[in-house]
Amino acid sequence: MQPSLGQRFSAVLGLVLSSAVACAQTTVVPPVQGQITDATGSSPLPGAVVRWLAAATTSATTDGTGKFTLVRPAHGAASRLVVSALGYQADTLTIGATDQAFVRVALRRSVALGEVKIEERAPAYSSLTPTNTQVITTRDLTKSACCNLAESFETNAAVEVSTTDAVSGAKQIQLLGLDGAYSLLTVDNLPALRGLSTPYRLSYLSGTWIEGIDIIKGMGSVVNGYESISGQVNVRLKEPDKAERLLFNAYGNDLGKFDLNLNLSAPLSKKLSTALLLHSDHLGRRVDRNQDGFLDLPLATQYNLFNKWKYKSEKGLVAEVGLGALRETREGGQVNFRPDQPRNFYGTTLATDRYTGFAKTSYTWPGRPYQSLGLLLSGTSHIFDSQYGIRSYDGAQRTGLATLLFQSVLGTTAHTYRLGLSYLHDNYEEVYKDGFIYPAESVQERYEREHRNRYERVPGAFAEYTYQNARNLTLVGGLRLDRHNLYSWVLTPRLNVKYDVTPNTVLRLATGTGFRTANPIAENSGMLVSSREFVLADNLRPERAWNAGGSFTQYFTVAGHPATFVADYYHTEFQNQVVADAYSAPTVLQIGNLEPGGRSFSRSFQTEVQVEPVKGLQAKAAYKYLDVRTTYAGELLPKALTPRHRLFANVGYATAFDKWRGDLTLQWFGQRPLAHNPGSHHEHGAGAAPTTLNYAPRYALLNSQVTRAFKRLEVYIGVENLTDYRQPDPIAGASSPFGPGFDAAMVWGPTYGRLTYAGLRFKID
Amino acid sequence: MNSFKSFWLAALLLVSAQFTFAQTAPTAKPSAKGATEQFQIKTSAVCDMCKARLEKAMAYEKGVQEAHLDVPSQVLTVSYRPDKTTPATLRTAVQRTGYDADDQTAEARAYERLPDCCKKTNKVHSDTGHK
Repeated sequence: MQPSLGQRFSAVLGLVLSSAVACAQTTVVPPVQGQITDATGSSPLPGAVVRWLAAATTSATTDGTGKFTLVRPAHGAASRLVVSALGYQADTLTIGATDQAFVRVALRRSVALGEVKIEERAPAYSSLTPTNTQVITTRDLTKSACCNLAESFETNAAVEVSTTDAVSGAKQIQLLGLDGAYSLLTVDNLPALRGLSTPYRLSYLSGTWIEGIDIIKGMGSVVNGYESISGQVNVRLKEPDKAERLLFNAYGNDLGKFDLNLNLSAPLSKKLSTALLLHSDHLGRRVDRNQDGFLDLPLATQYNLFNKWKYKSEKGLVAEVGLGALRETREGGQVNFRPDQPRNFYGTTLATDRYTGFAKTSYTWPGRPYQSLGLLLSGTSHIFDSQYGIRSYDGAQRTGLATLLFQSVLGTTAHTYRLGLSYLHDNYEEVYKDGFIYPAESVQERYEREHRNRYERVPGAFAEYTYQNARNLTLVGGLRLDRHNLYSWVLTPRLNVKYDVTPNTVLRLATGTGFRTANPIAENSGMLVSSREFVLADNLRPERAWNAGGSFTQYFTVAGHPATFVADYYHTEFQNQVVADAYSAPTVLQIGNLEPGGRSFSRSFQTEVQVEPVKGLQAKAAYKYLDVRTTYAGELLPKALTPRHRLFANVGYATAFDKWRGDLTLQWFGQRPLAHNPGSHHEHGAGAAPTTLNYAPRYALLNSQVTRAFKRLEVYIGVENLTDYRQPDPIAGASSPFGPGFDAAMVWGPTYGRLTYAGLRFKID
Repeated sequence: MNSFKSFWLAALLLVSAQFTFAQTAPTAKPSAKGATEQFQIKTSAVCDMCKARLEKAMAYEKGVQEAHLDVPSQVLTVSYRPDKTTPATLRTAVQRTGYDADDQTAEARAYERLPDCCKKTNKVHSDTGHK
């Protein structure tokens, strides 16, 4: 539900409005006076800005005792007064034209460990954040089956979810047409699921654990590191002090996959609360609907748990601790493949053990809510063993990240800054065996070829300055400098500007640079399920890119209901990229640096409109244009599997009090280029690639879901891929998986056709 | 057509689930049988967000036909079927939503979970930011 005009300014708020005393009519209309206080400490709040919504030029700033006087606008009707202060949620109140008003407003702090927090009822496109942020709420999450994070983006146009190959069933997100690895995934605002966990990371977070998701397109803050290039996806897990006491979710679909989720939360005292999030899923049935001899989805079993603690003292100290553990096994490939007796069948197996932990502590100065000090610590151990036919790929990643963050103001809250130090410890050990033994190679050479170790130690410092004139301009400039033990100094500048042309028209600009170390095997794990040999250059350099873009947001009303129009454009240009080239020579995947003089870029344009034509009926439609090209062997070619045009439409209807909810989503994909089949060189001779690209056909997908809510129970049923569309031959050369023409990586469409599911959610508040 | 079959099976499952719970679900329209009675509760609701919360919670209570909160007077007017529920039950439901019901105070945990603007420490306000 899109709040209208003034509502967007006021998120939620503790507001005390001493009712205006009607006074005798006088010829002189007195100015509005009042006092602004901090809702938590009820202390006066100096430096808050008070202004009229309609006459933005008239404003007043509160003095040392939080008091202000503001002359009235020159018109007869009641006016809306906007109160804002940095670090607080803005508030709007209505003042009668002639009331002799003295208003007392208590502003609520928006500081949650130094991050601006987006409320549950915020509009899908926030008008407050300086970045182009789209919010997926809990309510949006229940629109799709939402077994895990991958499905969470189903009813959203900004993020695309694609399947990496037809065997492993792994799903990837794409932002701005760039692979998931280029967008920073954060959980509770801490970088998470990086590096080697990238291929399967979307299945590591259950949908029922998630409170909301913020999608930031383009460059974000420098606080979270130098890695993000195309954007940031922040997943907010349920808060121990706000979550339901009990939430149980069961899901089943006609492939035979089951999901069970249980969230428990309890306050242990007034200050301490805890939440236990449990997830398990299981697919034990061998399904081969397209009769190609391969499982449509791998057998999989996952146990996943997360325990979150929150401590909130009355004196400004907030501490959060989270601990997670995950174990997953997957087994895919030919129907008759058994890991203990592989015989001549092709199979893939994967076993993952993952442990994570984080601790966040912040202290906010009493009476100075804009000043805080935070210490953020996180650690992860991610270990996996996998087998793809005769290849094996094992890895271990141990990461530790520490960030110390100080936030305060310069004089008034119009100028805030954040300063911090960070230290990243990232240890990678990978073993990739292609299954061949070359007689000419010594044991030592072979060991070096198969073992890839990397140990990164990166101390860094950052500063970010925010200017907010409380009227229409917000400017965030950030700079970070890191000292990488392998790649020397890394400087990361970033800039975000938000300008409200009118209260209903918002312009945003974002620009900056990003830097990351590629993990070429993990990031191309889909290609392991093909006969292509991996040829890795041994001089791989880190990836560097800049990104610039902006967005235009217009809020308006249609049939008395709020509506939104958004258009955005982003350009990403790589100075260096670790390019995986499947075009130049069909039989190999060449992984190397972007060639000298070559280009690699992404241009992304998206436009979206959201309307509510009738109360309860919400409709959105989006169009996306992606131009992602890279120079492969001297030729600038479009990136494989990325469609240039894409359409998205979603219609949702909810009856009064959300008792019935229905959703219908349409996705249409344009043509997309495909890499040549690895066996195709026989026709063209000498290993040279055919000169023209093949394209996958256009197609559309329809998803639908109906939910019925009762007092504590919700029952839902849905169908994915209603029209039963399938990619005709998702696995090329399926009949001889060890032959030269085998390729399961060119997946562009659904492999298993229509999927019907049903589930329930039981909740005790 | 296996998947089609299972689709209908699942659909049937949902419909039957709906049927099973129909007894506990409130009926939306006033029915001919069973008279409707009205009663009023003074609550601690202070704003439009409270109004939305309370009215939604009442809508999911058994036997409730209609509920309306008048924010300035904080009075919740409930039309209910006396053969299905009692004023005492509904008062408890109000408390469980986090609001005082007449002289009975709100359930502590539910109250804690209310957004700040809905807390009793606030005076009645007609802030427009709550829809």
